[in-house]
Amino acid sequence: MLEVSGISKSYGPRVALRDVSLSVGAGEIVALLGRNGAGKTTLVSIVAGLRRAESGTVSVGGRIGLAPQESGFYPTLTCRQNLRFFARWAGVSRRQIPGMIERLADGLELTGLLDRQARQLSGGEQRRLHTAIALVGDPALVLLDEPTVGADVQTRGRLVEFVRALAAGGTAVVYSTHYLGEVESLGASLVVLDGGVVVARGSVAEVKRRYARDTPATIENAFVQLTQPGSAIELRVPADVG
Amino acid sequence: MSARRILALVRNEFRLIAQDPLPIMILVAFPLIMMAFLKPTFRLALLASGHPGATGAEQVVPGQAVSNGFYIVGMTSFAFFAEHGWKTWDRLRVGAGSAADIVIGKTLPRLAVSLLQFLVLFLIGAPLEGLHSRGPLLALIPMVVAFATCLVLLGVLVTALCHTVQQANAVAFGGIVVFGAIGGALVPLEGLPGWAHHVAPATPTYWAMRGFRSVILSGGSIDSQLLPVVTLAAMSAGFVLVALARFRLDDAKVAF
Repeated sequence: MLEVSGISKSYGPRVALRDVSLSVGAGEIVALLGRNGAGKTTLVSIVAGLRRAESGTVSVGGRIGLAPQESGFYPTLTCRQNLRFFARWAGVSRRQIPGMIERLADGLELTGLLDRQARQLSGGEQRRLHTAIALVGDPALVLLDEPTVGADVQTRGRLVEFVRALAAGGTAVVYSTHYLGEVESLGASLVVLDGGVVVARGSVAEVKRRYARDTPATIENAFVQLTQPGSAIELRVPADVG
Repeated sequence: MSARRILALVRNEFRLIAQDPLPIMILVAFPLIMMAFLKPTFRLALLASGHPGATGAEQVVPGQAVSNGFYIVGMTSFAFFAEHGWKTWDRLRVGAGSAADIVIGKTLPRLAVSLLQFLVLFLIGAPLEGLHSRGPLLALIPMVVAFATCLVLLGVLVTALCHTVQQANAVAFGGIVVFGAIGGALVPLEGLPGWAHHVAPATPTYWAMRGFRSVILSGGSIDSQLLPVVTLAAMSAGFVLVALARFRLDDAKVAF
């Protein structure tokens, strides 16, 4: 569903991504991990077509749904009006929209909030609306850039469950996050970025086995080893390993 | 370009405008108040410049409509910056919408607002101030459409050139005063210094006022509107060309 090959991108002298490759199949969840500034958002933006890479190719086999890092919706419109507009914008037929809104609202627990102005929602509710907008029109590939940032534990749990169900239905998902626990809950495969370079990839079990030095071998241990300045250098692997 | 997407965006824009109607109400109320204040002054100015029997309404009604029409420049620009502020700009781009879909969908409602503003100001202002036109007011329709289009496209150009909403506001509101004054909308052109007469034709305001005056004061017909309409269309084309060269969908605008 998504093939990213040899992407590089710089902002002036700062290298944001260097020769990054990635592939995501239908029904697969790939979690993008990395410290702040590792290149996750840049990668998501390039895949979404919002930024241009200096080299490399991106191939997407269907429509993209994007939930950027910052919540985006029309604050003075209701949830229903937001969803309806973005559905029309995505090309959903008028006839299909009511059913689609009900389905999304049901999945993300927005049903009772549909006729409330978006600005009146709590932070967690806004985050769910933000995610719902990304899913209008049943995109083949969904890009979720830190979808649970700022959300409470319950909201995070619901979103993770929803994303799992989405993938079970055949949607390819790229899920950028700082919450390592979510990655295990999602059953996602990992791509770890550091300084714009892919330093590890594979299943959670593989990454733990290869890179976690401390006992118990946790994903946190592996992540720290991979992304700690200096100490992880010798652990870094070429981008095509995994 | 997709007519369906443009229509969806136009509807959404009208919905957003309807959620916050105060700016539109001010666009109408403010010039109507100013007309009542300025009419006596402009009567004297028009009489002194060789228009016997003038009441002042001949200048103040179109002048206030034209100078306040400039607010649409800022409103058009703000419509783009607001998308950045609400973080919906990237959503529009990812939704497979082209630049043309977004620009047309966001500007058409502002064109409608601008035309509505002219219509209401003339429908209320003309009888209220006792405006007696020597020529047919309907002859002004092509020029008003050309002027409103020119202003909305100027708003797109301001958006393309400015990086922050503060810059756009400064340019748009500065334009109201400068273009309004030099173009003869705030005060009759006859009352301006000589150098202003040479600069005035470079402003859309001048051509709009020339169109209005040729019908209202000189009794011209639709033929008298040809030059103003063509000139305003040429200015619009110029704004579009510069905007096309400078407009970047991925330009990181700073809104609020």
